Amino acid sequence: MKGKGLRIILGKILFIFALFVVLAGVLIPYFWMVSGSFKTTLEIQSADVLKPDLSPRWIPRRFTWENYLRVNRTVRMLDYFRNSLIISVGTMLFSIGISLFAAYALSRFDFRWKKTYILATLSTQMFPGISFLIPYFMMFVLARYYLKVPMQNTYWGMVFTYTSFALPFSVLMLRNFLDSIPREIDEQAQIDGCTPGGALWRVILPLAKPGIAAVGIYSFIMAWNEVLFATVLTGRETKTVALGLLEYITAQQARWAGMMAACIIVSIPVLVLFSLMQRYIIEGLVAGATKG
Amino acid sequence: MSSQARGKLAFRFILPAFICMLFVHIVPIFLGAYLAFIDLDIYTITQWIRAPFVGLKNFIDVFSVRTDVGIRYLRSIWNVVYFGLITIPAGYVIGLLVALLLNRKFFGRTLVRSLILLPYITPDSVAYNVWRFIFQARIGIVNKYLLALGLINEPILWLVGDRAIYAVMIASVWKGWPFACLILLAGLQNIPQELYEAARIDGASSFALFRFITFPMLRPVSATLLLLSAIWNFHAFNQFYILLGTDPGKAHVPSTFILQEAFTNLHLSKGAAMSVFLTLVVLLMTVVMLRLRRGEGE
Repeated sequence: MKGKGLRIILGKILFIFALFVVLAGVLIPYFWMVSGSFKTTLEIQSADVLKPDLSPRWIPRRFTWENYLRVNRTVRMLDYFRNSLIISVGTMLFSIGISLFAAYALSRFDFRWKKTYILATLSTQMFPGISFLIPYFMMFVLARYYLKVPMQNTYWGMVFTYTSFALPFSVLMLRNFLDSIPREIDEQAQIDGCTPGGALWRVILPLAKPGIAAVGIYSFIMAWNEVLFATVLTGRETKTVALGLLEYITAQQARWAGMMAACIIVSIPVLVLFSLMQRYIIEGLVAGATKG
Repeated sequence: MSSQARGKLAFRFILPAFICMLFVHIVPIFLGAYLAFIDLDIYTITQWIRAPFVGLKNFIDVFSVRTDVGIRYLRSIWNVVYFGLITIPAGYVIGLLVALLLNRKFFGRTLVRSLILLPYITPDSVAYNVWRFIFQARIGIVNKYLLALGLINEPILWLVGDRAIYAVMIASVWKGWPFACLILLAGLQNIPQELYEAARIDGASSFALFRFITFPMLRPVSATLLLLSAIWNFHAFNQFYILLGTDPGKAHVPSTFILQEAFTNLHLSKGAAMSVFLTLVVLLMTVVMLRLRRGEGE
């Protein structure tokens, strides 16, 4: 009996230790980021792993708010923040609107090319961005040349691009959500005299709010984080935060402290939005990988 | 409503989503295939209709071991394969171990589960910039602790040369394993508890429970997860671009190399040829995945 009790206690200690190791592994970079954001640029620049008295430390030698207060001083971070907000909110709205109709059609109607369309939507998720980037860039250039429509370095060019990126996942996720709403509800609405569009607007929309919010947040985060297309398609006026962060390190100067503060500011919208809808987004992701 | 009318309505509802797919996915795929067979650079882009047709020349160039671009492209393909061969199993094993750890009830489980998701939801640009800071030779903490432990005698340059790819792997595994963990945890929770109870009554050890119940029951989820990871491995771009800059040198992967070749060296057609090959590889893997899935489903 005594041996068994000891084993349980030992098991518990081992379990807590394992948990601690996992959490430490996850959190250490965040501690380093937060610590760096409160250091002075001088402290980071003069740090040297070889000299014990200058070795980089976890606790700032001189604590400062400077990096947050003057985030816009060396890099135009506030402009990039505005650009990212405009592009991400635009992407969110268009993605919700377009995916709601497509998902409703996939959930409630049967038509001949339904399977083909779903398969095509799934496949677009598989191809790497670089497969599309060069011809897509060329289409932007040609749109300007032939149609005199500027696309490169415009908000709406980026919104269109990111909306299209967000749509496959949004459509499929929202379809799963709509499938869980009983068909009888909108059939009843149609018997009561609603058109299918009216049923979608008056009956389904209020019921699908959580799904719509999840899709919107997913789209916002996608646009906020994208790097590859932004490197080629954005310019001075539309540069997003993801690229702006890279500007803190130039050939002449490395402003790590400023960058860490900017990193925290850039993460906040994403973390807040994600925690609001965590359950639905994760359900969507898991369903995507396990059910397909 | 007649089925024809319903079909028309469905078409109208899907049309906007389809237009987006058409312009951002379908047209570029075919235009890209065309670009790969002509000779085009950024200056002649508007004269693309008159650009000379060069047959397979672009493909021969980018796969030749005698041209500079060929050597570097082949190396970038090897890099991304090698990268996947290390990071995918590493992420899977860590994800599985932590999923097993979290698949029991304990105080604060919800909090722990939210915390381990942090790397997954942190923007790539933020996470990899922080890792870039961590890996700095003179001011980073990796070298600090390696020196303190006596494993190295002088600071290592992590982000240049042959070591760079390993630094990227570490950062990538850190960012990627929570996703594997999430999927595997969902898989674990779908295993009926009766199986374990029955086996325990028969006197099975914990290892036997894992070996003969957990592992086989996780097989379908694991297969999908690993195949998806293998396909998405070819998307690798952000971690290389952010950690190593616009020119990762020896540690190029196809995405970074094509970007450089097309938009820094301005060889659009060569870039397109390299992209087409990548597209074909991913297409092949997707077909294999769909086949395997269908086989498992029936």
